[in-house]
Amino acid sequence: MKMTRRSLGSRLITAALCATLGLSTAMMPVAATAAGFPEKSVTLVVWSGAGGALDTYGRKLAELLEKQVGWSVKVDNRPGGSGAVGVSQIMNQPADGYNILVLTGTLTFGIAQGLIPFKIDDLRLLRAMQSEPSSLAVLADSPLKSVDDFVKYMKENPNGLKVGGHAPGGFHQYMLYQLMKQGGFESGWIPHDASGKVTLGLLGKHLDAAMMTPSTGLSQVKSGEIRLLGVSTPERTEFLPDTPTFKEQGYNLEDSIWRGIAVKAGTPDDTVNAIQAAIDKVTASEDWKKFQTEQLQDSPDWKEEEFTKRAKGELESQTEFLKASGYIK
Amino acid sequence: MDGIIQSLEVIFSLWGLAMLVIGALLGIVIGALPGLGPSIGLSLLIPFTYNLGPELSMLLMISLYTSAEYGGSISAILLSTPGTAAAAATVIDGYAMARKGKANEAISISLTASTVGGVLGGLALLLLAMPLAKLALQFGPAGYFAVGLFGLCSVAALSGGSLMKGLICAAFGLALATVGIDPIAGTPRFTLGMYQLYEGVPFLAALIGLFAVSEAMVMLENRATAAPIIKDKVGHVFMSMALWKKTWRTMLSGSVIGTLLGILPGVGGNIACWVARDYARARDPHPEEYGHGSANGIAAPEAANNATVGGALVPLLALGVPGSPTTAIMVGALIMHGLHPGPQLFTDAPTLVYAILFGVIIASLVQYIAGSLFLPIMAKTVLLPDAVIAVGIMAFAVLGAFAIRNLMFDVYLMLGFGVIGYLMKKLDFPVPPVILAMVLGYLIESNYRTALVSSQGDHMIFVTDPISLLFLVLSVVSLAVPLWRGFRKRSLGRAIQKTEAAAGGAPSLKSMEE
Repeated sequence: MKMTRRSLGSRLITAALCATLGLSTAMMPVAATAAGFPEKSVTLVVWSGAGGALDTYGRKLAELLEKQVGWSVKVDNRPGGSGAVGVSQIMNQPADGYNILVLTGTLTFGIAQGLIPFKIDDLRLLRAMQSEPSSLAVLADSPLKSVDDFVKYMKENPNGLKVGGHAPGGFHQYMLYQLMKQGGFESGWIPHDASGKVTLGLLGKHLDAAMMTPSTGLSQVKSGEIRLLGVSTPERTEFLPDTPTFKEQGYNLEDSIWRGIAVKAGTPDDTVNAIQAAIDKVTASEDWKKFQTEQLQDSPDWKEEEFTKRAKGELESQTEFLKASGYIK
Repeated sequence: MDGIIQSLEVIFSLWGLAMLVIGALLGIVIGALPGLGPSIGLSLLIPFTYNLGPELSMLLMISLYTSAEYGGSISAILLSTPGTAAAAATVIDGYAMARKGKANEAISISLTASTVGGVLGGLALLLLAMPLAKLALQFGPAGYFAVGLFGLCSVAALSGGSLMKGLICAAFGLALATVGIDPIAGTPRFTLGMYQLYEGVPFLAALIGLFAVSEAMVMLENRATAAPIIKDKVGHVFMSMALWKKTWRTMLSGSVIGTLLGILPGVGGNIACWVARDYARARDPHPEEYGHGSANGIAAPEAANNATVGGALVPLLALGVPGSPTTAIMVGALIMHGLHPGPQLFTDAPTLVYAILFGVIIASLVQYIAGSLFLPIMAKTVLLPDAVIAVGIMAFAVLGAFAIRNLMFDVYLMLGFGVIGYLMKKLDFPVPPVILAMVLGYLIESNYRTALVSSQGDHMIFVTDPISLLFLVLSVVSLAVPLWRGFRKRSLGRAIQKTEAAAGGAPSLKSMEE
């Protein structure tokens, strides 16, 4: 009895081992070269977990690449390391365009902070497809009615308001830093680990003002419970026609956080051209336009050259911000 | 009113019921598989919801979410492998009960408690969404810190024999929780240069390793020597009247705790299960049963983790802000349908809102039926030889750890935790305090520091913030009460001894303590 039980056990162990090994071999990429790209299914490597805004974008892109272009596409979530896991996943694959990274503008923050151990030149940034601005938000009953009110108050009372937003040393704090430089005031920063918590912080009066994406507290912005003093778009956005921009109030604050796609540097030009043509088909479709409106996303549509130039510019000014704010030495 | 009737029409249509049943069946399986939890389950569903209406999508998602919270307990009970993080507290008594040959009973307690928790959480959402949302807004960083500290007080109760060992384990857990990107300074700490650790030590890898892998190792080691455990007949699904009588209070308190902690973003089921278990234990006339297969030790965390479903939907519907990663995915699905969650939905899409509100309650009932069908099959697992169970645990553990982020790193880490867990068992160190401290460490640290940033370094914020003060007082009380009770028992015992000695009777301290 003991013998049979033992042998059954060890056989099962062997079986489990074989299954695990089989699984890992199945995941090894098969090398292929691009002639008529793509010859097999393409993987979109999303560098965040399932469910967030980036994942939603990646999955919509996958759906439309299948529907509009006829590719076969797989979405692979590789969260972790502030994006480093996703980037290194791409770096470990051949530069053949079959692994496309779906990433956000936090790329440059990650590189500047040394969290992502790669350079912009390790990637070919192909297209920025979505972008969202930052905005300065207060509760409806706040006496502050404009960006000027805010700047004036902060000048008279350095660190006088509790100001915060999503993430330490991220995009929104970077925008506040620029406003600080231009307005000549001092402000602290209360970081939150999820953007939803920023809205709750404002509503619960644990924050006096927040720098946040307008869509974060959308229902309160629409109902008037939260007032946006300024938004960082060049012109008023179609989604919030009543919200003034920073620019029209005399502050040169114009930046957005983008979401887009990239491939490994060294991917041949004809493969990149095939990908670009496919993306053109996607962005021209009605489905995509409807999706962008529903998600309240601007469509920057920067192609490789402009995209790369902007990313490099962002990296430079963000590095300066991170140094000045003491996040890096 | 129209919204209510229309929503019920949707729910009780053929499609509506089909969604609820499919969601429940998928949820139980996904919940039971370690590594796959409700949030991964829901994100897998998203592509299928494109072509369903928003109401049907939400019914499917809610049903899966609810059932996954229950499903997590199945593998916790049978394999000592929590299927979801929120089922971690269920392992202790659930697995102990299963090893006594009462797996069937353990699962039926879990199923019933999950259903009760789900229904009560749903009722709270239906009737009290607005006041609960207002309550959630009162919690600032100081308040969250104090809640976390309050949770940490249950370490004493989880320590088993030696409080010192329990505290050492808790300190180990807290130390693990500091690994990763510093929540305030934004720079990596203690990551040994590995970017896989930037988001911290993956909690599920530690959980699976410490609980499951260590158990499989002990099992294999004991196989030749240990006496075979008693395996009972598998059959009944329903809880006996006696069990109901024993557990209904715990289910109730667990549900209330689950709902309340569910409304707080970043707290939720992972923490609620421990707090509920601790509360039940503190109130129980037989606290010594906990850890050895107590029915209430299963009922409390299971009622709590299902009640968090209703709770987590409170901020979503009342404020438009998701209360948990899982509800964040539901927001994504709603946006896909062109809807933005928030109070305006009550006027824009009342049918949808009521479908969600009633859906939570009805999904819990559907889960009970689906769970009853599964139960006899599941419970047969215990009839398998230990060797098979041990191999099953290992296979699930490896798959589960890989499923967290598709990284082999997590698998190796999980196996490493397995060895640590095995050594801890050998040296008689309790595992639960490590898990509890890991869950709470980040909450406590990040909120403590955020509170100080916002008060510009003034510690008075923890006293002036009323919520914080309340929970700090509760923490002191929860630490002091057992001490005081122990003291009273001892002095009472001594007094009785004296009187008995004076009366010439035999001292019966032992019977007094029972």
